[in-house]
Amino acid sequence: MPVEIPKDKWAGQIRTVTLGATAAEGGTRARTLTVGGEACLPFLHFDAPGAAMPHRPALALEVRDRRPDDWSPLLGQAWGEAMSDPGDWARAAEQAGADLIVLTLSLTQADGSPNLPANAVAVVQKVLGATGLPLAVFGPGQAEKDNELIVPVAEAAKGERLLIGVCEDKNYRTIVAAAMANGHLVSSKTPMDVNLAKQLIILIHDMGMPLDRILMDPTTGALGYGIEYGYSVMERLRLAALQGDSMTQQPMLVTPGEEAWKAKEAKVGEGVPAAWGDWQRRAINWETLTGSALLQTGADIVVLRHPESLARLRTQIAGLMQA
Amino acid sequence: MAHHSVTFLPAGQTASVTTGTLLTEAIRQAGLDIGQPCGGQGRCGRCAIVVEDGQIRRRSAIRLSDADLAAGYALACQAVVEGDATIRLLETEAVERRLVTDKTARQVAAPFAYAPERDQSVRAFFVTLDEPTLADNVDDAARLERALAAHGVRGLEIPLALLRTLGPRLRDANWQATAVVELDTWRRPAGPPRLIDLIPGDQLAQVLGLAIDIGTTTVTVYLVDLLTGAAVDQAAEYNGQIARGEDVISRIIYASKGGPASAPSGLEELRARVLETINTLIARLAERGQVDPQRIYKATVAGNTTMLHLFLGVPPASIRLTPYIPAVNHPAPLTAAEAGLAIHPLALVDPLPGVASYVGADITAGVLATGLHEAEPLTLFIDVGTNGEIVLGNQEWLMTCACSAGPAFEGAGVVSGMRATRGAIEEVWINSQTYEPTYRVIGGGQPRGLCGSGLLSLLAELFITGVADKAGNFKLDLGLPRLRPGAHGPEYVVVWAGDAAHGQDIVLTKVDVDNLMRAKAAIYAGFNVLAQSVGVDLSQVERLLIGGSFGKYLNVEKAVQVGLLPDLPWDRINFLGNTAVLGAYLALLSRDARAAVRALAEKMTYLELSADNSFYEAFTSALFLPHTDLSRFPSVAALAAPGEAGARA
Repeated sequence: MPVEIPKDKWAGQIRTVTLGATAAEGGTRARTLTVGGEACLPFLHFDAPGAAMPHRPALALEVRDRRPDDWSPLLGQAWGEAMSDPGDWARAAEQAGADLIVLTLSLTQADGSPNLPANAVAVVQKVLGATGLPLAVFGPGQAEKDNELIVPVAEAAKGERLLIGVCEDKNYRTIVAAAMANGHLVSSKTPMDVNLAKQLIILIHDMGMPLDRILMDPTTGALGYGIEYGYSVMERLRLAALQGDSMTQQPMLVTPGEEAWKAKEAKVGEGVPAAWGDWQRRAINWETLTGSALLQTGADIVVLRHPESLARLRTQIAGLMQA
Repeated sequence: MAHHSVTFLPAGQTASVTTGTLLTEAIRQAGLDIGQPCGGQGRCGRCAIVVEDGQIRRRSAIRLSDADLAAGYALACQAVVEGDATIRLLETEAVERRLVTDKTARQVAAPFAYAPERDQSVRAFFVTLDEPTLADNVDDAARLERALAAHGVRGLEIPLALLRTLGPRLRDANWQATAVVELDTWRRPAGPPRLIDLIPGDQLAQVLGLAIDIGTTTVTVYLVDLLTGAAVDQAAEYNGQIARGEDVISRIIYASKGGPASAPSGLEELRARVLETINTLIARLAERGQVDPQRIYKATVAGNTTMLHLFLGVPPASIRLTPYIPAVNHPAPLTAAEAGLAIHPLALVDPLPGVASYVGADITAGVLATGLHEAEPLTLFIDVGTNGEIVLGNQEWLMTCACSAGPAFEGAGVVSGMRATRGAIEEVWINSQTYEPTYRVIGGGQPRGLCGSGLLSLLAELFITGVADKAGNFKLDLGLPRLRPGAHGPEYVVVWAGDAAHGQDIVLTKVDVDNLMRAKAAIYAGFNVLAQSVGVDLSQVERLLIGGSFGKYLNVEKAVQVGLLPDLPWDRINFLGNTAVLGAYLALLSRDARAAVRALAEKMTYLELSADNSFYEAFTSALFLPHTDLSRFPSVAALAAPGEAGARA
């Protein structure tokens, strides 16, 4: 008996957003990255054959402006000496297959003194020189410091179509203004709430930022640390978007790398029950499973930390895109 | 136990108290009074005093800065006497209260064709009794009963108090008297009738009643002629309980405080305070109308559930604790002597029915007054005060819920907030080019702060002119001199110190904005969830009726702009003022109205908003100007913030 698969016809579609600019477009990137454009729930290609998911979800690797103090030793093993130099690290990430480099600026310098705009600009220029991939640059996540570091970065990298952030509901105007003035994109980050996610997109758009230059980060939790809450917020955002709610139609950027590697299961290998098994295997599984769950709920850019996790998700996406 | 002498400056009153006595108690013992708007929880900081000298321990100082502490400030409700001390009371904002409802005596005619013989349950009859003889030797009581039977009054009950004086009264009156009889109540629809008073001669001309609304903030009393049905006069006064808490929760907390052996408990004190307010109003009305309060034989009482509990001296503690169950929603009728009202001691006091802890008799009375329970159009009725109680329905069905808006709309919990009294800014306009504000002050003169309508108006203007974004964040990057960082985050200066009555800047802080946003979001979310629960869209509402005193000053346009009220055509919106007292007035006059309010209270379906997530969801989506879903506010969507609209790609 033939089985007929029911098809959904959606009124809305996710916006298409392009990161990075080539020399012809006013930047220096070797290639650009385009995400979004979905006209179906994740990987349900049969809803709109040929046009359902015009762009596969992208995989990004996170690098830091200096060797981080608090990352798991397993990540140190994976990246080795490259972690000491943001340029080397970005190059290694490109070689590991990343579509996008996400550079996070630290609050302090290695000696504990506050990070400075000049340092931030120098690091960004170094990374831009080391790789041809598009680049996202995020501040340390403290409003004043973010503004202080990101504005000069935006000016120095004018025309590169960087993705910059972090824009939050209490602190978005300075970064959005810098992005508008210098041809960049912004990431709109809100704490796991459908309404807040939508509200910040409205606020950013109200400043005059075109919607095809805004990504949203609805905030995610790691496997075992609230992923179901984040998952369901993303699912509701995506359903609202497909139903035609314009201010939820931004592609979503998620950070399972950051979240999973905060979890005890991934971060530490000592003082945990023997039944937890091999540390490295468990840690990478934690990041991979967190990331693959988020792919199923509509993630467009998945930011990871371990190269092996990226390789596994790459395989998974390839399979899901064929299905 | 050791006694300590506490001296209060500037006047020098003293009190002798034991170790550990709260300063508020010592202040009271000294014959002074100090306001405690938060009910003595140490939260509002309004009872601050200065310790000039002596041993005082501060239990909590959360409202005081280090500089305040160094200067000797303490909160009287949190300060404990541990030795002799000298305390300076601060000259607090003069209690200057203006009540518009008490400006002039206003007569209100009976709202329907009143026929006492049909409608009224408390009636007076002039009777002439047969003088007893050896042949006609029935007792006085039976003789009175026989005379009243001629008026259709059968099976009369005579309370003991009247029985004791019945013989002399009848004889002194030469067997001609006016009998005031309660024919029935909702508890005893078939009687038996009860004698309330027996007055010599024909006294039919003065049979009076009261309609009382005990508001958390304001108590209103109508004096009603029960023969004609007219409300001959009305008076209103701030509820004397305000000094012990501005909102119902603070009062409930205060009520649960046990008094020291020498002092009344919190509950007794609050009951005494509201009775004093009501009795003052009664005395005022009696004096103005040249009537004897002893000729008032019936009082119908509306008020929220907490107010009625406190009025009756019933502990309200469970009202604020989950699952929020009051002791009683519909108290049985009682006598004025039991209630403590200074009218005829045997007068009938009839509290109206409530629905739940936070939907009380003020709302059922309000619904009765609006007549929405008998009307066909889908009607939304809201009583805006500290709590927003909402009713949605028509003649077929009634849904209700209550959302806690917080006291921001009453000017409390806001840095420059104040009640709607003289000196309050009640309306603000901001120039969209210069961003300079103009404003209107109650009573003219220099402003001292902002009242609820002024705050709402200011919020709307800040949003519409683009000084604040849709989340209520001030746009500091506009570089306006009136926008500046303050102690409570960014703030907007409405009035510079030089133009203010008290010589200080009048500001709206980001924290104030958040409080206002939460208040308006709670109310709109209540509308939304109520409508959702019965599957109707707010745009389908055919009439929006707004009760409560706040409603009187509310500017519809601004209320819609901030998303407090749904975006309905203005001709569907009506302001009704105090609907609770009107409902009490109707129930006082008419058995049918009294039965209707009981029936509608039973018919109303109460929706508990804390029972699931839908309220929270609706609340966060309403926590935006005007709303996250702008399509709900088409008239506001048409107004874009200038300066940014042009930049939009």
